[in-house]
Amino acid sequence: MRRRRRRGGALVAALATLAFSAALGAALADLARTELRLGAERRMTARLLGALDACVADVTGALPAGWDFAALLAGADGTLGSADDGMLAAPADCTAVARAAPGGPVPDRIVIRAEARIGGARRHLDALVRRAPEPGAGGLLWLSAPPEAGAFAGTATIDGGDPDAPLASLAAPADPDALDAWIAGEGTHLDVSPGTLAPVTGPVPPLDDLRTRVLAAPHAGSEALVASGAPAAVVAYVAGDLDVADARAGAGLLFVDGRLDVGGTLEFHGVIVATGGIRVASGAGLTLDGELWLGVGGSALTVEGALVLRRAPGAVAAADALLPLPRRAVVAGARDVG
Amino acid sequence: MTLVELLVGTVLGLAVLAALTSAVAVAGRMLVAAGTRAEGEDTAQLAMEALRFDVRRAGWDPAAAGHAALVDARADGLALAADLDGDGGVATDSEESVAWRCATASRRLSRIVGLQSLPLADHVIGCVFRYLDHDGAAVAAPVAAGDLTRVRAVELSLLLLPPGISHPASRSLIAALRVTP
Repeated sequence: MRRRRRRGGALVAALATLAFSAALGAALADLARTELRLGAERRMTARLLGALDACVADVTGALPAGWDFAALLAGADGTLGSADDGMLAAPADCTAVARAAPGGPVPDRIVIRAEARIGGARRHLDALVRRAPEPGAGGLLWLSAPPEAGAFAGTATIDGGDPDAPLASLAAPADPDALDAWIAGEGTHLDVSPGTLAPVTGPVPPLDDLRTRVLAAPHAGSEALVASGAPAAVVAYVAGDLDVADARAGAGLLFVDGRLDVGGTLEFHGVIVATGGIRVASGAGLTLDGELWLGVGGSALTVEGALVLRRAPGAVAAADALLPLPRRAVVAGARDVG
Repeated sequence: MTLVELLVGTVLGLAVLAALTSAVAVAGRMLVAAGTRAEGEDTAQLAMEALRFDVRRAGWDPAAAGHAALVDARADGLALAADLDGDGGVATDSEESVAWRCATASRRLSRIVGLQSLPLADHVIGCVFRYLDHDGAAVAAPVAAGDLTRVRAVELSLLLLPPGISHPASRSLIAALRVTP
């Protein structure tokens, strides 16, 4: 009986091919796995950096307007050296602590250490925060509360256009979408000139502190508003409401510790502050080259006549030179800590 | 087995072996190309990330000494400064003073810290820095010293073509400078 010889050539070739293919496949899979891991790391880094930037922007935007950061560094208890020094309110998944910046005290500035967390990853950023170079909150009209619909029964013109440094029409502690909707809702009663920036969320104007500073400085009264001639730029303080029934002009800083009621015409260069709001009566007019800061929002802004509000950096700077005005906090630099 | 059967079997076996060898060779080349491609993409991406970090921290000036973020701005490179230790000065031999250079002759992108030149990418076939102002308009390079403060963002376009791949790895990044107001 013949025995059939066994032959394994094909099997060996097939096995060798299979081994090669498996090795190549494993190498490709390893390459793909490495790239996927790198991609995931990069996505996480980008998300953390974005979260840190958003955190710092939110925290800085929520800082009160003012002149320095001393109260913020002292914390809620107002005492330096206590546990709450520099603790800042921050959005979810983020913490922020302020400390004094190195170097001399001028200009006043702080360093905010922010920490963002996403899943099990965390990252840190140091942000240098200082006061904005320009007074105010970045808007021609700075309100303590969101305005109410129907504020302008007359006509209002807001012109913040400036090729170098345009200003927003409005700054108020409210969502920008709500402020946009308010402006749109005023319809033809409110004319916002081209070049004016969209409304911005801003802090509450620190009018109590400003009043203290005004009263501590040399200041005039309502007589600073003159009926004829060029008005001198001064700091003027009016206790209680101020009625302007005829034609007046003024310049500098006018602090009305009550309601400003314009029944005639008032032309002003600088900053007008009215803690109790403002009313421009029907047939009356207020022309302000500068900024208007109101201590109340809502219905305290009533324009039945004509309001013209124009950006005038020189006039605001002149008022600021008479008495340093509050400024919002801005981010001046950042350093990724890791 | 006859001679004819043996010859036919041998020819068929050789054909199969040649096909398998060719397939393995192609797969091997693909693997090498994929690895090279991945390495090129990673290199380009790492260069972008390194630039982003350098630009983000440029101008860091906690002591308010007045340091500019952008010290030099050309189409083939730039120089950045930051007072990282907050001592009021920018040391030229440390990470506080960083330059980037595209060397067309050596086809290399380098990051220069002090006197140390650290190659970030080789096989560079395209490397251009552009500078944008506040409105996003281009500021002509080289940027004059008086115009450096106009620059608000830096753009780097990078093309790498490592040997063994036909299409270059391409990356572009626009990183905003934090300019002290």
